[in-house]
Amino acid sequence: MAQQQQKGGGGNTPKPGGNTPKPGGNTPSAKDRSRAQSRPVSTRTPGGKQGRGGGNTPRPGGRPVATPAPRGLSATMIAWGAVALVAVVIVVLVVVKLAGNSSTTTTTYTPVTPAPASVVRDVSTVPTSVYNQVGVNIPSQATPNPPIVLSGQPPLTLSGRTPAMLYFGAEWCPYCAAERWGIVTALARFGTWSNLKITASSHTDVYPATPTFSFQGASYSSPYLGFDGVENCTNIPDAADTACNGYRALPGPNAQQQAVINKYSSPTFIPGATAGSVGYPFIDIGNQALISGATYNPQMLAGLTQSEIAGSLADPTNSVTQSIIGTANYISAAVCASTKQQPSSVCASPGVTAASKALKLG
Amino acid sequence: MPSLRWQPLTTLLLSIAGLGVATYLTITHYDTHVALVCADNGIVNCEKVTTSPQSSIFGIPVAVLGLVFFFPMIALCLPVAWRSADRRIHLARLALSVAGVAMVLYLVSAELFIIKAICLWCTSVHVITFILFVIIVTSAPVVLGVEHSREPGGRHDAVAGSA
Repeated sequence: MAQQQQKGGGGNTPKPGGNTPKPGGNTPSAKDRSRAQSRPVSTRTPGGKQGRGGGNTPRPGGRPVATPAPRGLSATMIAWGAVALVAVVIVVLVVVKLAGNSSTTTTTYTPVTPAPASVVRDVSTVPTSVYNQVGVNIPSQATPNPPIVLSGQPPLTLSGRTPAMLYFGAEWCPYCAAERWGIVTALARFGTWSNLKITASSHTDVYPATPTFSFQGASYSSPYLGFDGVENCTNIPDAADTACNGYRALPGPNAQQQAVINKYSSPTFIPGATAGSVGYPFIDIGNQALISGATYNPQMLAGLTQSEIAGSLADPTNSVTQSIIGTANYISAAVCASTKQQPSSVCASPGVTAASKALKLG
Repeated sequence: MPSLRWQPLTTLLLSIAGLGVATYLTITHYDTHVALVCADNGIVNCEKVTTSPQSSIFGIPVAVLGLVFFFPMIALCLPVAWRSADRRIHLARLALSVAGVAMVLYLVSAELFIIKAICLWCTSVHVITFILFVIIVTSAPVVLGVEHSREPGGRHDAVAGSA
């Protein structure tokens, strides 16, 4: 930066060819004063030649003197150029995105296929020690959401079985995807699964492609309780099917199941619920407890396969295992409340007892 | 002193607004009981964006990075900072705004091409950051003393002395 130089005696800078103020403190003449007042303000032209005349002496400690702008481009032009460049980049991104959308795109989904025998085995044979060690210690990063305990409700009867458990969800639903792991492992302690399927949640929704099971076509047999697993919608995109949020519909609940859903999904029993609207998943465990939404965050399962998840269930220190088994213990505690604590091998186990205590189940 | 009349207050207000939105996004990130008020019509899906893997960078939620951006920006956009004779303050403001808009370009790209959804709240922060960038960058030549600013009436600031 060029430094301002104090002129001898201060005052205006002489104009080329103009009168030079007399040095040494002489008072300018009236004519000089007039000329100074009418003199054009100093301009700095590109190219650096400074205009003469005008301008006050900078105050001590003031801002550095501006340097002449380089030839061709001023700093302001460069600044606006940078702004324009950023704006152009953003516009290009949007245009490329829109152009990509206009071409034919295929929306993928994960088909429903039979669950591998190894996966069914792993979820059905989780060591009791794992259930007991995990208890209800779902990791905080999984944002645990325990079941809602009901009181004073009659035992749930479905499909001729009492007590019974109802699951109502959808294959596209990521929260259902997470919750099915807890349901499958919990109920494996009370009975036997058949024809379990595997799939993944929607590829375009939150927590895309969460690996999971499907209860479509599955069956469950147990001497202690009945289970109705109702998948209301597939995960196959179908823009025409507005009833299923843009996914192909499945037959849905029968009248008995629908009555249970209508009654217990209401704001009377689920705080924060919207009247007339059912959130997925909705689970009624023998009218002892309700689950609305997922007990843990589906993000825990991101990027894993069913085999990897099932294979990790023997490790109680694994955070995915803790999320699933913690959920299973909650579900087991509610099942035990509806089966009068049968079987005792499960209901009296430390893991289920801890869940019972946490839920304040009778 | 450079003639900046509306820039200090405008950038300060924008920074405060940005901090407010970043705070809201941070709260909804950590407290799932606080719902993110946002439309869900396919392409607009705040939850999908804020729960995506791209919502964290090196394990730090992007919402928290927003707080880290706007807190110092507020300080740097205070009128006293704009009036400061210390070039470092102006350079810091400029550098922060450039970093902010670079992050905006990355996040917009992630929304459009990876997540394939847009979060309205995030977009509002992006817009605020971009406007801050425009004001700060275009004011930089003046506050850094590289060029004159022009006062109303056409008179130049008295800056340069002549040889």
